[in-house]
Amino acid sequence: MRHPTDGVLRRLLDEPVGVADADREHVAGCPVCLSGLAAARKDAQVAGAALGSGLSTELADVDVGWWRLSGAVGGEGRRRGTTAAPAHRWRAALRSPVVAAFGVVALLAGAGAAAAVDWLQIFRTEQIAPVTVTEADLVALPDLSAYGEVEVSADTNAHEVANADAAKKATGLSVPRVSELPRGVTGAPTFQVGDQMSAVFTFSAAKAERAAAAAGETLPPPPAGLDGSKFRLVAGPGLAAVWSEGRGVPALVVARAVAPTAYSSGIPFQTARDYLLSLPGVPDGLASQLRGFSGDGTTLPLPLPAEQVRSSAADVGGRPATVLTSRDGTMVAVVWVDDGIVTAVAGTLSTGEVLSVARGLR
Amino acid sequence: MDVVEHGGSAPAAARPAGLSFDGHGAARRVEGKGGVAVSTPASAGRGAVRADLEQVFRTAYPRVVAVAARVLGFRDGAEDVAQEVFLTFGRSSVPAGEALGWLSVAAAHTALNHLRSGRRRASREEAAGDGGGGVCPDVADAVVTLDERRRVRVALARLPRRQAVALVLRHSGLSYAEVAAALDLSVGSVGTVVRRAESALRKELNRHASSD
Repeated sequence: MRHPTDGVLRRLLDEPVGVADADREHVAGCPVCLSGLAAARKDAQVAGAALGSGLSTELADVDVGWWRLSGAVGGEGRRRGTTAAPAHRWRAALRSPVVAAFGVVALLAGAGAAAAVDWLQIFRTEQIAPVTVTEADLVALPDLSAYGEVEVSADTNAHEVANADAAKKATGLSVPRVSELPRGVTGAPTFQVGDQMSAVFTFSAAKAERAAAAAGETLPPPPAGLDGSKFRLVAGPGLAAVWSEGRGVPALVVARAVAPTAYSSGIPFQTARDYLLSLPGVPDGLASQLRGFSGDGTTLPLPLPAEQVRSSAADVGGRPATVLTSRDGTMVAVVWVDDGIVTAVAGTLSTGEVLSVARGLR
Repeated sequence: MDVVEHGGSAPAAARPAGLSFDGHGAARRVEGKGGVAVSTPASAGRGAVRADLEQVFRTAYPRVVAVAARVLGFRDGAEDVAQEVFLTFGRSSVPAGEALGWLSVAAAHTALNHLRSGRRRASREEAAGDGGGGVCPDVADAVVTLDERRRVRVALARLPRRQAVALVLRHSGLSYAEVAAALDLSVGSVGTVVRRAESALRKELNRHASSD
């Protein structure tokens, strides 16, 4: 009998039942084939080890992935995730570089605060400004957990409610009403609400030092009092009205939430902010952009991936607003803050349509 | 299944929106280097997203990420690739029954394209994270690991495209039947292609090891 092919020998390693009995019997008694089988096994092991080396065995987080995809497909931007994302996404989001950038600044952007015994409000969102974040910045940026412990103390518990009245009751927010729906968007929206979320970040000099060492850098000595100091970030509650048009992704989303605020357990913020922004791993360009916003403690930087999103300025009802357009043109959003409440309108629409909806909200 | 082997010349009209997964999800058809191109049956109109997208996503996402991670060697980039692939899939009319195979092949191609262009890889690797690790306590170990991973990616990028895709799919857990269906091969020839790929990968790795 002729020898089975190399391909048959290879399959014998993975799926022996897929190999014909005659071939298996032949191989078992054939020194040439056994030698070929051993060589195939060795190569397969090398390839398996090479391709799998260093990879996490943890399965990808489907919810986080889906949330991101729906944002990209349907215009439901990630910055709005506070209301639509399920609870554990908030945790995952805290680990993402974009939110870390936001977190570092939201936590530290306040004006210098006097020492306080209790939690002290050091940041309150009164306006939003886009910060350009390049892919290289995101790559370079360590996540918050590299600087200390992040503990989520209250989750959003996002869920659907029956109608606008229920959304108002659940959040205490007035529900924006769209005066005229854009062409192609019809029917009644579904309403999502989310509770207030809260997270506490505890700075750890030891962790930051390890992160710096891993990047081949030396940690500058932390200012007195920073090690172990706590920062609390609070946002929400929020609500969203979603028009789906049966497509699985929203055609139009109108969302509103209590904008983020940050509190400290007492460290002077300018000190902490300057220190964190000087840490190895925070790109210089990004750090200076972030520092530029941090003087008054009222401007929430909105990190935008430069490769994916363009931003421009507009106004909604006399308030400065930021218009975000995805580079592929499929998604447009406008976001603004009024009296500590952030409102966003997004959809697979044109800029004009989105602005028209935003300006027509009642 | 709209996976076609190049080398012949199928009429362009038969593949109106053939994609090469050039890393931008752009609808651009490029003849692969002795390899396989993936064509996407176009769906009507911008913004028309297939209704079963979420269902398919929830089933296939971990697999698609795993395939891309095998190619790239780190998780964060693999998740980016998966997003690109599902975005394209969402606007395609690939039959639901063929979705997993299509997505797996697309993930492998897209990730291989990223390797070839070197985009993301270098900078992300230097950011020292696979998304699943934590902080590596020993900088020297980290450097060695990164160097090894880089050698593997260089070797993988040098393989003939079809071999590389078959290799990655097999090592991502697809059965021989699934690899065959996804690549439009006979089940019998999957072992042959995978065996050749593994042999070639070993040779590439050895070649690099000796030239370092």
